[in-house]
Amino acid sequence: MLDALIAGLLLVLQWKAFSLMLIGMGLGFVIGLLPGIGGAATLALMLPFVFTMTPAEAFAFLLGMHSVAATTGDITSILFGVPGEGLSAATVVDGYPMAKRGEAGRALGAALMSSLLGALIGAAALAVSIPIVRPLVLTFGSPELFMISVMGIACITSLSGLDARAQIKGFAMGLLGLLLCTIGQERQSGGLRFDFGLIYLWEGLDLIPVLVGIFAIPEIIDLAVRGTAIAGASPAGNLRTGVWEGAKDSFRHFWLVMRCSAIGVFVGILPGAGGGVAQWMAYAHAVQSARDATDRARFGKGDVRGVLGPGAANNSKEGGDLIPTIAFGVPGSGAMAILLGAFLIMGLVPGPDMLTKHLAVTYSMVWTLVIANVIAVLLCFALLGHLAKVTQIRGGLIIPFVLLLIFVGSYTANNHIADLIVTLAFGALGYLMVRFGWPRAPLVLGFVLGKLAETYLFISMARYGFSWLTQPLVLVLIVLTVLVIVYPFIQGRRAGFAARAHAD
Amino acid sequence: MPINGRVLFSLGLAALAVFAIVSASSWPLKARLFPLVTAIPLLVLALVQLFLDLRGKAEATDSPASDLALSTDVPPAIAQRRTLLTFAWMATFVALVFLVGFPLAVPLFAFTYLMFQSAEGFWRSLALTVAAWGFFYGLFERMLRLPFGAGVVQIWLGL
Repeated sequence: MLDALIAGLLLVLQWKAFSLMLIGMGLGFVIGLLPGIGGAATLALMLPFVFTMTPAEAFAFLLGMHSVAATTGDITSILFGVPGEGLSAATVVDGYPMAKRGEAGRALGAALMSSLLGALIGAAALAVSIPIVRPLVLTFGSPELFMISVMGIACITSLSGLDARAQIKGFAMGLLGLLLCTIGQERQSGGLRFDFGLIYLWEGLDLIPVLVGIFAIPEIIDLAVRGTAIAGASPAGNLRTGVWEGAKDSFRHFWLVMRCSAIGVFVGILPGAGGGVAQWMAYAHAVQSARDATDRARFGKGDVRGVLGPGAANNSKEGGDLIPTIAFGVPGSGAMAILLGAFLIMGLVPGPDMLTKHLAVTYSMVWTLVIANVIAVLLCFALLGHLAKVTQIRGGLIIPFVLLLIFVGSYTANNHIADLIVTLAFGALGYLMVRFGWPRAPLVLGFVLGKLAETYLFISMARYGFSWLTQPLVLVLIVLTVLVIVYPFIQGRRAGFAARAHAD
Repeated sequence: MPINGRVLFSLGLAALAVFAIVSASSWPLKARLFPLVTAIPLLVLALVQLFLDLRGKAEATDSPASDLALSTDVPPAIAQRRTLLTFAWMATFVALVFLVGFPLAVPLFAFTYLMFQSAEGFWRSLALTVAAWGFFYGLFERMLRLPFGAGVVQIWLGL
């Protein structure tokens, strides 16, 4: 195994593979900054170029690009409140308020360092777990995967607040997200739902216009209303110091970063769950790990922990994603499904061969994840001081450029003008939600998980009837879900008792 | 009974849930199961929220929504005017894309926004417009080769 590990490293360090990795990273850096054009789309665009490459070169190129796109996606989320891609949306919630407070450098430093730590943990998980993960993944059937989805949705509660009214709003928005997912062709029977006679809606609403509209447009409107720079009247401060402060925050909250990285790896391993889910679950965990109600109230207003959790999960899930892809040929996400295409182009068959005959290639992927992330983070740290200065530019100059990114990014979802209308409509909805105190995150999480939940529910019912509810692992997951729901109430009640005791 | 934006939002949510339930009721079981499972509790929660809104009961201040807080340091009337104006600009951009396509809409929008909304000088607006267009053309059209369709005006003119 050690021989394969060293052989894998040498494969990546060969000049051609290394150069291709750097080219891929350059592309990933730019792509990650653009809203809408995610790592998956870029992998698809670049797939035709790998035909002439060796497996190690191809994976260095593709994985280098993909892993860097995941890192830089956080940059626009923090600087402009515009998610670089679907996976970076959770970083907006606390990252953008930090930028508005003049702490863009710190938020970026925290996002990058936690991303690096997450990536290293994901790569380590990939390296050690391939031989042992098979029984774990095979234990999870449709009922368990459905319950995982439900648990993800239950995390909505912790994103909403402590009192009953906040919970009502959180659940309602989560349900709205699930309902919006049912638009379009139903997968099992092929029937059309809520299509209003529009062909555009047959495929359902795409995540990108919904996400970009709901998150980016309210932020842009607020920027226009304030009529100032993103950082407002907050002093620029020493950006370099801010960046290092953010990097140090990753170590101050080291165990939070570790736990959120573990969440990322776990969600990454589950087929179909995707990075968006990992980020939101990590964010929910960060909120739930608050000491008390006062501590919890800091989230959403620029708490660095709200940046660290999603940042770590976003990159650790890359390693997790690769585990089922390499070991069983079951892609963990859309991007991995495309990477599977690269395996076939290279003449490699995912499965036992990747753990025996091609073990060096497998480990070259681990090394690519490590090296690409280390270089990307070092590069970002070198540039961050300049990037953070963007928040000091007047809003009037920034807005047309950000609107350009928003609408071009949304358009690329389906290359359809209706994508722009959907973006605008969800922008209006997002604005009204913010204005009237309805949380946006649960809606997005419901929307991300909806299709998955419906599919797994249908398969569970068709295969087991109602008896799937009595399976042991399902029961464990039900208990965990209930705990996730009631924990904020317990925490709130405990805080109330403590406050009363203190007053007495 | 205060009729305000909050009440109307909750009412709209309830109406949406009712529409979903009524629409889904006539579908086959496979198709209606999930919409009903989500729309029925949504209706209940929306009605509870509507009831609370109509009673005018203030929300607990210590209930964070972990979300953006809109700026409050601008007078409401000005904030409302700027909000509508920004929406109008965005709608204009979408309309421009529909009419003339992205390659023309980008410079047209950037220039008019910078000149008339941001009140920048002519040369500065022009320079920034060239930068915006260069960024769009260089990255999206040349490098990524994304397909941007023509606008309806070009189609009508047969260009």
